[in-house]
Amino acid sequence: MAAERRASVTWKGDLMSGSGTIDEVGSGAFAPLDVSWPARSEEASGGKTSPEELIAAAHASCFSMALAHALAQAGNAPERLQTSAAVTFVPGTGITKIALSVRGTVPGLDADGFRVAAEDAKKNCPVSQALAGVPDVTVDAALE
Amino acid sequence: MPRIVRDATVAWRGSLSRGSGVATAGSGAFELPIDLPSRIADKPGKTSPEELLAAAHAGCYATSLAGEIARGGGTVESLDVKCTVTLDEVGDKGHLIVSSELDVRARADGVDAAGLERAVQAADAGCTFSSLIRASASVSVRAELESN
Repeated sequence: MAAERRASVTWKGDLMSGSGTIDEVGSGAFAPLDVSWPARSEEASGGKTSPEELIAAAHASCFSMALAHALAQAGNAPERLQTSAAVTFVPGTGITKIALSVRGTVPGLDADGFRVAAEDAKKNCPVSQALAGVPDVTVDAALE
Repeated sequence: MPRIVRDATVAWRGSLSRGSGVATAGSGAFELPIDLPSRIADKPGKTSPEELLAAAHAGCYATSLAGEIARGGGTVESLDVKCTVTLDEVGDKGHLIVSSELDVRARADGVDAAGLERAVQAADAGCTFSSLIRASASVSVRAELESN
C-alpha cells in the first residue's frame, strides 16, 4: 500500500531577495509557512522555517515512530520519547550532518537495550534510508 | 561559508499504533501533531514525516530553481512547486520512500521553454535534497511556463 503526501510552495522573485510560502499541504495540518534564503543560510532563522528545519522535523518524527514501534514489539512500549534532530547545512556543499538525540521513559528496559534499539531505528526508519547519502548521521540515546 | 544548524524536536507518547507526538520547529515556525494513522491513511488530518519531506523538497527546489533562472538571465515573477512524496512497502525491505515528484509552473520573463528546461535540470542537480533522496527514491520534475 502506497501513501502519497503532498505540499506546495509558491516562490516570488530571485533567490537572494525573493521569498516563498509553503501555501498548501495535503493534510491541511499546516500552511502557510514562509521560507526564504536568508532564513535558510544565515545563523539566525528570523522565525521562518527552511527545508533543513522541515527535514529535521521529518527525521525526528520518523525516528520516534520507528523506535516506539520496535520497543513495543519487544514488549517495552515507551511512555515517552523526546527526540531532537539537528541538521547541519553548508551552503554550496549541502547537508553534512544530522544529529539525533533521544531521551526516553521506557519501563522494563535498561540503558544498553535502549541504545541498541535507537541505533536500529536510526539505521532503518524510512527517512534515514532516504537520507542515506548524508555523510554523518549520529544518535545519542539515554533513558530519563 | 557558514555552517548552519536547524533543529526540530518531537515528543512522542506511547506505542506506534496508539501513541502520538508533537513536532516543534527550532525556529518557532510550527508545532505539529503527528501519529501513525496520519502517515498511512487516505485522508490524513495531521502531518507526517513524508508530508514534511514534501514541504522540504518543494522549498529546496523552489529556491534552487529561482537561482538557476536568474543565472540564465531570466527574471522570476513566481514559481509554483508542488511535491508529492510516496511511501511504499518494498518486498523484504519494509517501508521505503520510493519517489518524490515535483510539478512546477513558472512565470518568468526572459526565459523560453528550452531555457526553463536547462534551469530545471540545473536546479535538480543543485538542490541538496534531490541528490540525497536518490539514495532510496526516484526524483522527477515536470515544469511548464505560464504566460504572463
